[in-house]
Amino acid sequence: MEPKLNELSEAIKAGRRKEAKLATEELLAAGVAPEEVMSALSAGMDDVGRRFKANEIFVPEVLVAARAMQTSMNLLEPVLLSVGSEPEHTVVIGTVEGDLHDIGKNLVAMMVKAANFKVVDLGTNVSPDAFIAALREHRAAVIGLSALLTTTMPAMRRTVELIRESGVAVKVMVGGAPITQQFAQEIGADGYAPDAASAVDEAKRLIARTAA
Amino acid sequence: MTGKEILMAALRGSKTPRAPWVPFVGVHGGSLIGLDATAYLQSADAIVSALKQARDLYQPDGLPVVFDLQLEAEVLGCQLAWARETPPSVSSHPLQSGCDLSQLPAFSTEKGRIPLVLEAVRRLKTEMGDAVALYGLLTGPLTLALHLRGDEVLLDMFDDEDSVPELLDYCAGIACQMADAYLDAGVDVIAVVDPMISQIGPGHFSTYVAPPNNRIFDHVRARGALSSLFVCGNATRNLEAMAATRCDNISVDENVDMAALARIAAAAGKSFGGNLQLTVVLLLGDENDARRDAVRCLDQAGSSPGFVLAPGCDLPFAVKPENLQAVASLVRDPYQLQVARNLPAKVDSDDFADIEIPDYSAELAVIVDVVTLDSAGCAPCAYTVKAAQEAASAYGGAAEVREHKITGRDGLGYMKKLQVTAIPSICVDGREAFASIIPDRKDLIAALRCAADRK
Repeated sequence: MEPKLNELSEAIKAGRRKEAKLATEELLAAGVAPEEVMSALSAGMDDVGRRFKANEIFVPEVLVAARAMQTSMNLLEPVLLSVGSEPEHTVVIGTVEGDLHDIGKNLVAMMVKAANFKVVDLGTNVSPDAFIAALREHRAAVIGLSALLTTTMPAMRRTVELIRESGVAVKVMVGGAPITQQFAQEIGADGYAPDAASAVDEAKRLIARTAA
Repeated sequence: MTGKEILMAALRGSKTPRAPWVPFVGVHGGSLIGLDATAYLQSADAIVSALKQARDLYQPDGLPVVFDLQLEAEVLGCQLAWARETPPSVSSHPLQSGCDLSQLPAFSTEKGRIPLVLEAVRRLKTEMGDAVALYGLLTGPLTLALHLRGDEVLLDMFDDEDSVPELLDYCAGIACQMADAYLDAGVDVIAVVDPMISQIGPGHFSTYVAPPNNRIFDHVRARGALSSLFVCGNATRNLEAMAATRCDNISVDENVDMAALARIAAAAGKSFGGNLQLTVVLLLGDENDARRDAVRCLDQAGSSPGFVLAPGCDLPFAVKPENLQAVASLVRDPYQLQVARNLPAKVDSDDFADIEIPDYSAELAVIVDVVTLDSAGCAPCAYTVKAAQEAASAYGGAAEVREHKITGRDGLGYMKKLQVTAIPSICVDGREAFASIIPDRKDLIAALRCAADRK
């Protein structure tokens, strides 16, 4: 079955959703473990993330790959659930209050999902209270905050402050066009990712650090 | 040459006596007159009054009249979410579920807020049109297409190759109408602002985005005006493709290496500009940060003609006016430029342990440290040193004047340890007393007496 798994990875890399769907159907029908299918998806998106980070591909290519992945996930998720296979960790994600931009946040959500995290996407213009409520509800290990506007950077700072005050144990990572490592440190975030692919590495790093 | 003439010459790629300066005052205009962005972007009176203030404060060679990439989208049926400190955001995409252009309302420059922007252009033309070049900013085709159809446009590039050129060409048609209205109202430069270009690669740019942009640039050129392609965001990978379009000028954001753009623009025979850092420097930094960053832009741009000093993108609402004023005066003053070039780095791990400053309280004489660029080569520094020496001898008590030049380690060490805020600066017994001002003799003598009393 290995060639078919490989085919699925390749379909994801190229963003070919019809092929991705077909390969997923065939793999599941042949009784391949859903975790193995998930690994093939992850391998495909991992490669997409790597090329995105290296400036070899850009937002449209990532979006089209993510759409192919989602087509496959729609078939795969019910099967994963039925065998009791759930992601180990949850990431809550959203764009901070006052900011309506979502392309970057969506890219991060898709990449993180492909890396086999459960993703709770709260959307855009999310209040600190809504973030904190979601953290409590989903017992998330990591929260990802996004801001595109320089003017919503203070809202990001306030969200981090309120999360800390709430006492919820979570690792906070931040990103978005105007955000820098320096700003992330200043506002007391645990991690910073300059792009969607790095966000996956950063989430893994933060979780490893919590476990250690 | 007037500032406007310098700017227009630079935009044409000619050598100019100094770099022209175009602060992109958008919503920041609101903060200058105490209005939020929502009120500001809906009033011609507010825009005119703020830009008159911006002219007086920032001595610009050119100014954008309004920096709002939602003007056209609003007329075309996108809903807007207004904000206090930013231009409105588009919150609905009328073509999201299908790319049927006939569904859109008919576009006209007499609809929405466009008439008030054009009124502001006409009034500003009368107020300052001789001295300051006015930029008319319109929404670039890719960005307008994203407003209308959402990020589906980016997926269409893979699935529906025919719909993308049709939609982008439609957006170019809107842009040409905007350009005509702006030029009729009196703007000097048409800026096609297409920040979404920073999100795609050169392949998609050349296939889909360059042709509609070229249609706009050709249109502007046929009307005898100049065009600039503004890309906010990281456009590094597209610089060569952008330089291959038929615009006159390329303006880029802070993530682009200005030295790389200078080379690419020179090879393509285009003028270029940018890219002061908006947040870290202009919004959150101080005047010296702004000066350092202006020097960075100017030095990276190098000696190629046609450089326009500007922020990377729309200035943040609450940007500090003094930071822009620092840039404005530096552009006109080679001396200040030279001082800024010698400023130590912001994060300087050098603690200058080898430069020992005296224990002032233990010195018998009052010590006057004058921190200068170099009094031999700079007039303000020479006057300051002379004023200090004259005051010291008129004072009558024990006083000693020491010059520290920041062209060397000694001066930099003193600058850091005495926390000097400007050059030239006079410190009396280790405390900065007169920063960037030549004091009146009696004031300086009073300061010396004060210091002597503290001993």
